[in-house]
Amino acid sequence: MVDIRDAVIIGANRIPFARAHGAYAEASNQDMLTSALNGLVARFGLQGQQLGAVAGGAVLKHSKNFNLVRESLLGTPLDPKTPAYDVQMACATGMEAIGSLANKIKLGQIDSAIGGGVDSISDAPIVVTDELRGVLMEANRAKTLGQRMKALAKIRPGHLAPQAPGTNEPRTGLSMGEHMAVTAHQWGITRQEQDELAAASHQNLAKAYDDGFFDDLVTPFKGVNRDNNMRADSTVEKLAKLSPVFGRNLGDEATMTAANSTALTDGAATVLLGSEEWADAQDLPKLANFVDYEEAAVDFVDGAEGLLMAPAYAAARMLKRNNLRFEDFEYFEIHEAFASTVLAQMRAWESEEFCREKLGLDQPLGSIDRSRLNVTGSSLAAGHPFAATGGRIVGTLAKLLHGKPGKLGFISVCAAGGQGITAIIEGR
Amino acid sequence: MARKIELPALSSIYRRAAVDAVTSRLSSTGSLRTLEVEPVLAQHPGITEAQAEKYRRLFNGEPFDGVHRTSLPSVLVHIAGFPVQMALMSAEEFPLPLLGMVHLSNTVEHRRPITAGQPLQILVGAENFRPHRRGTQVDITVEVYAADEDPQSPDAAPLWRGVSTYLGRGSYIAGSPKEAGSRTGRGEFTPPRPTGRWTLGADAGREYAAVSGDFNPIHLSSLTAKALGQRTTIVHGMYSAARMLEGREPEQAGHRWSIEFEAPITLPASVAFAAERQDDSAWRFTGWNPRKNRRHFTGTLTLP
Repeated sequence: MVDIRDAVIIGANRIPFARAHGAYAEASNQDMLTSALNGLVARFGLQGQQLGAVAGGAVLKHSKNFNLVRESLLGTPLDPKTPAYDVQMACATGMEAIGSLANKIKLGQIDSAIGGGVDSISDAPIVVTDELRGVLMEANRAKTLGQRMKALAKIRPGHLAPQAPGTNEPRTGLSMGEHMAVTAHQWGITRQEQDELAAASHQNLAKAYDDGFFDDLVTPFKGVNRDNNMRADSTVEKLAKLSPVFGRNLGDEATMTAANSTALTDGAATVLLGSEEWADAQDLPKLANFVDYEEAAVDFVDGAEGLLMAPAYAAARMLKRNNLRFEDFEYFEIHEAFASTVLAQMRAWESEEFCREKLGLDQPLGSIDRSRLNVTGSSLAAGHPFAATGGRIVGTLAKLLHGKPGKLGFISVCAAGGQGITAIIEGR
Repeated sequence: MARKIELPALSSIYRRAAVDAVTSRLSSTGSLRTLEVEPVLAQHPGITEAQAEKYRRLFNGEPFDGVHRTSLPSVLVHIAGFPVQMALMSAEEFPLPLLGMVHLSNTVEHRRPITAGQPLQILVGAENFRPHRRGTQVDITVEVYAADEDPQSPDAAPLWRGVSTYLGRGSYIAGSPKEAGSRTGRGEFTPPRPTGRWTLGADAGREYAAVSGDFNPIHLSSLTAKALGQRTTIVHGMYSAARMLEGREPEQAGHRWSIEFEAPITLPASVAFAAERQDDSAWRFTGWNPRKNRRHFTGTLTLP
């Protein structure tokens, strides 16, 4: 049995997140990830360094980017002998990349790593129809010109329409927002509390920028200095004027608007991890330890559980394993896929019935102090370039906990396909 | 006794029916006198693997890999029996006009697994002609037997048995009052919690036709649908049945299911769908138009 050592979060770098089809419309996933990596390399003087591994991914990825992270790495001053690989777990991609790299460091397999992710809505992969692909592949397999012509003759005009990637869950056909609208309604999440959470997210993020909190976490890209989805002047009163966009079939009981749902955005985020010894040898800061993380998945297809409720289950298992309770945590970072996602998870943890029946606990996990929740803003304000969110959150929380040795931070990130990840970070 | 027939081609049936509709050989507003229809029996070479593959691609189902999934879906068995059903319904002696007939409901007992390439015998009968306020209803029974079974022997056990209920609009049973038959209760519809959304393109009918061979003009284009009295193209009823059942039918069969159609799904469509588990063995399904709050269908599935 090897000794388990600490996996240290040294620092992070991301590019500002930008609303889709805007500032980064011309940037590819590889452009953005390379830029985020370059910023990290520059910030921590990693030029020419051979790291243990670089892992990350994108949720919406072109087939030409089959080796996205490795190709991005080769565009940076990192030693090209650094191995890199792609990870994909929908919106939890970044968390999974960082968590599994931390485990490798803990086991002593590697001493240093970069984890993160990137996503672009503006440069999403457009593909051909299944029918056209079938014909083209058949033509490709043909051995004679005659066979090839015969195959190509099957092409019909209708086959030529380009196919954009869907945002709907493949097995239900419902969009994530429609799924969340059902869950929100089940938990009785009100419009008011969603709008309050959304306004707080914008206000907290704006204040953090004004305080210089992101100065060593964000590097400008293509003339953007701050997340451009952020509206510092956001108020509950303003948000109350918007019409619902999801769950409209609920009529007067529809609560989810464009403001309390996360906007589609482009961006990239990276986190530098290392062993204590490695960080010391490089004379690098040690912000926090990546203590543990847990994945969960739920049976959402026929509505047995809400699509985005997996973190509720992951949290229960992770807290039990670490013998912790919510009151042991200093900060909570719950990814705001939708305001109602955060509120439904918190409502579930407060529910005696849910904790007993679904989580198998004697008592509820309890309440989360709102003053400790997403204190420097979260996805509603910053945006959510799917795979980049894990890196944003880990970097933010590690910085919040830096200088608070032993203080704990909690992370929850939900993901498509009924999955989710929770994690624990400890300040140093 | 059943009349033995060759497995017919659906295309020729529809062509003949279209001619009939034009020449009005079957008076669509007349009174019906003959209500006895001789059953028909046809041999079927078996559903091909290619057809099963096309079917599962259309419904995004798991592959028929010959190891973990071999049992064909109930609706694919229905598709195999459909030409025989159509042969009976288009026969000279069948009293209701084929085109324009409305599919009201289906009940299926899928007793034993049926696999691709398995030769089958299909016995189709018509029974229970009864008045409906808009015409005459009839139950078309379809029984699917293994090749080595004698379907006409009293103890023959079908692998699969389905009852399709149709309405021949404007054809009334002689002597029955036109108002006979109860209007199905359509009270205020409170939709259940949606668990799915079906986004059907304008070509959903053509896509299902390509898999099923059912090129009924009402499913193909708005022009051909209008010619037969529909407002626009509607999707096949069995498309809804197939989609509600996909992934839920047991490999060992032994299940029963039903579907009852209400407002037709006009294309293109966005259909709200709910699958509700009643208990360990029973499901209830609902499909509806979320904008108009109109129900398209309700269904049930009972597992063995």
